[in-house]
Amino acid sequence: MSGYQEGIVVLLCINCVAAMGVSLLTGFTGIFTLGHAAYMALGAYTTAIMTVRYHVHWLPAIVAGGVVAVLVAWLIGIPTLRLTGDYYAIASIGLGEAIRLILENWQSFTRGARGFPGIGSYASRGVAVTFFTVLGILMFNLLSSRLGRELKASRDDRVAASLMGFNTPASRMKALLISAFYCGIAGALLGGYMNFIQPSMFDMMKSTELTAVVVFGGLGSMSGTLLGSAIVTLVMEVFRNISQYRMLIYGGLLVVIMVLRPEGLLGNREIWSFLSFLPGFGPKRRG
Amino acid sequence: MQFSTLFQQIINGLSLGSVYALIAVGYSLVYSILSFSNFAHGGFLVIGGYICYGLLSGFEVVTSTQQHIFTMPAFNIWIASLSALVGAGVVAILTERFAYKPIRERTSMTLYLLIASMGVSIVIENIFVIAVGGRFRALPPDSFQDIFAVLEKVLGYLGMNRVPGSSSQLFDLGGGVTVSMFDILSLIVAVFFLGGLQLFLTRTRWGLSIRAAAYDLRTAGLMGVNVAFLIGIVFFVAGMLAAIGGIFLSFRYTLYPQLGGITTKAFVAAVIGGLGSLPGAVVGSLILGLAEMLTAGFISSQMRDLVVFSMLVVMLLVKPAGFFGKQINDKI
Repeated sequence: MSGYQEGIVVLLCINCVAAMGVSLLTGFTGIFTLGHAAYMALGAYTTAIMTVRYHVHWLPAIVAGGVVAVLVAWLIGIPTLRLTGDYYAIASIGLGEAIRLILENWQSFTRGARGFPGIGSYASRGVAVTFFTVLGILMFNLLSSRLGRELKASRDDRVAASLMGFNTPASRMKALLISAFYCGIAGALLGGYMNFIQPSMFDMMKSTELTAVVVFGGLGSMSGTLLGSAIVTLVMEVFRNISQYRMLIYGGLLVVIMVLRPEGLLGNREIWSFLSFLPGFGPKRRG
Repeated sequence: MQFSTLFQQIINGLSLGSVYALIAVGYSLVYSILSFSNFAHGGFLVIGGYICYGLLSGFEVVTSTQQHIFTMPAFNIWIASLSALVGAGVVAILTERFAYKPIRERTSMTLYLLIASMGVSIVIENIFVIAVGGRFRALPPDSFQDIFAVLEKVLGYLGMNRVPGSSSQLFDLGGGVTVSMFDILSLIVAVFFLGGLQLFLTRTRWGLSIRAAAYDLRTAGLMGVNVAFLIGIVFFVAGMLAAIGGIFLSFRYTLYPQLGGITTKAFVAAVIGGLGSLPGAVVGSLILGLAEMLTAGFISSQMRDLVVFSMLVVMLLVKPAGFFGKQINDKI
């Protein structure tokens, strides 16, 4: 495998981890976010500063990146999760931009807009694939667990879910924290792959891309999210030669997908529900 | 704290706020009808800016083989800005027709519209990056000469005199505080167009239908209002207002394909005032313009954006509906 192909695999894993986080929040909990790139930024900066300045080993540093994202998400979530619908999305834009601007203006700590160079390349193919596999297995198990069913119930009808005895505010908060953790880890891995991070890498464009990938794959379908994320990442790589037109195609694609197939690639079904004709994939108890 | 600095920054803030208001009102108008945040609004602004720039400075169209197709002569500001307004309005209508309408007809989820609008804004931005390049352009400095000459006479009657020897047409307000001709012009134009919009909405039949549709789009349709036509008008007006904002912003700063990013601030202003409320959008814009200029004057200009977004978050936490967002149903 050439270095270029290896890089694509790493990038693919990173994007999938981040997309899984956003999918849990947007697709399975029904909270639209347009600021999750900020959690990636937090993860990336935490890991970068810990490994470069304090010479911490990369593995605990990556986990710490995720934890910092969770802590910030918790602080943000307490007041903002009361907001519903468009208003949470708007608040998340504001918070995402605010976090990015803080990172950009805190010169002494983050080196500001010049970016943070010299990060060790710890995100090798093996590391990225391992993180993706472990987090993926955890995510799919989570979705079929009690919490996963609780999230889906509160997405479909919040009032009914709370009448059934679910503590919907608490489960919304859990979803936010877990999604922030996934994005924090993805950011930390991105830092280790690029060896350089910069606040402008985590702007509103990136946040939109995360949500757009989830919608493209299908809201409420985790395998659809992974498929969508893989397709978008690969398509962007293919178009790298005509970089001038890359963003134009990307923007046009967003519009065309929304017009032609707003429910996304897989709708709200998982990929194996299309395989129900095979033995062992038959209809199961739906959760 | 110097009193004259404070006063100067308040004037600058009002001038900037009036430009934000033009953009925010268009934003709010679309939100009040369709209840979604049109992120492509910034694109309309950029289109207006480029049309105005192109017609003011004149340009030559050549093919890739350097073959000359035709030359556009340079026009005066009236023709250029009028074409910019109409052009941006038409693009806004086309955007609605081809990108939003099919989605609206299929689903009621505004998230899809939101993402489509982001797609449109990326497309518009990158069309300009490809077609004219990403470099910064300044409108010809004497673009507003004709208008300024008239304004200067009027202001002379009011007893305001030009600062002697100043090339950028500054007027003395006493105590070392000056106001530029451009600030006065943007304030006048904002008042003119916003007042016109208010009259249009309250005194005409179309305005009545728009208010009815803002109240309840479905019922208005059932009552015989031609909803498709109405939405077209709303997008045209929104595009026009964005183009005016675009012309002023490209004169105040410079023109570049990412200029539309400034709509995020107009959007914040609309939220602070109350999404969907037109007076709210104006008040929110003025507050935002003042806050931004006072921060720049007394703290540091790097903190401007941070203050803007902190205001958004604080507002959403304290009063999510904004200053003028009364009831969910009572939008305009």
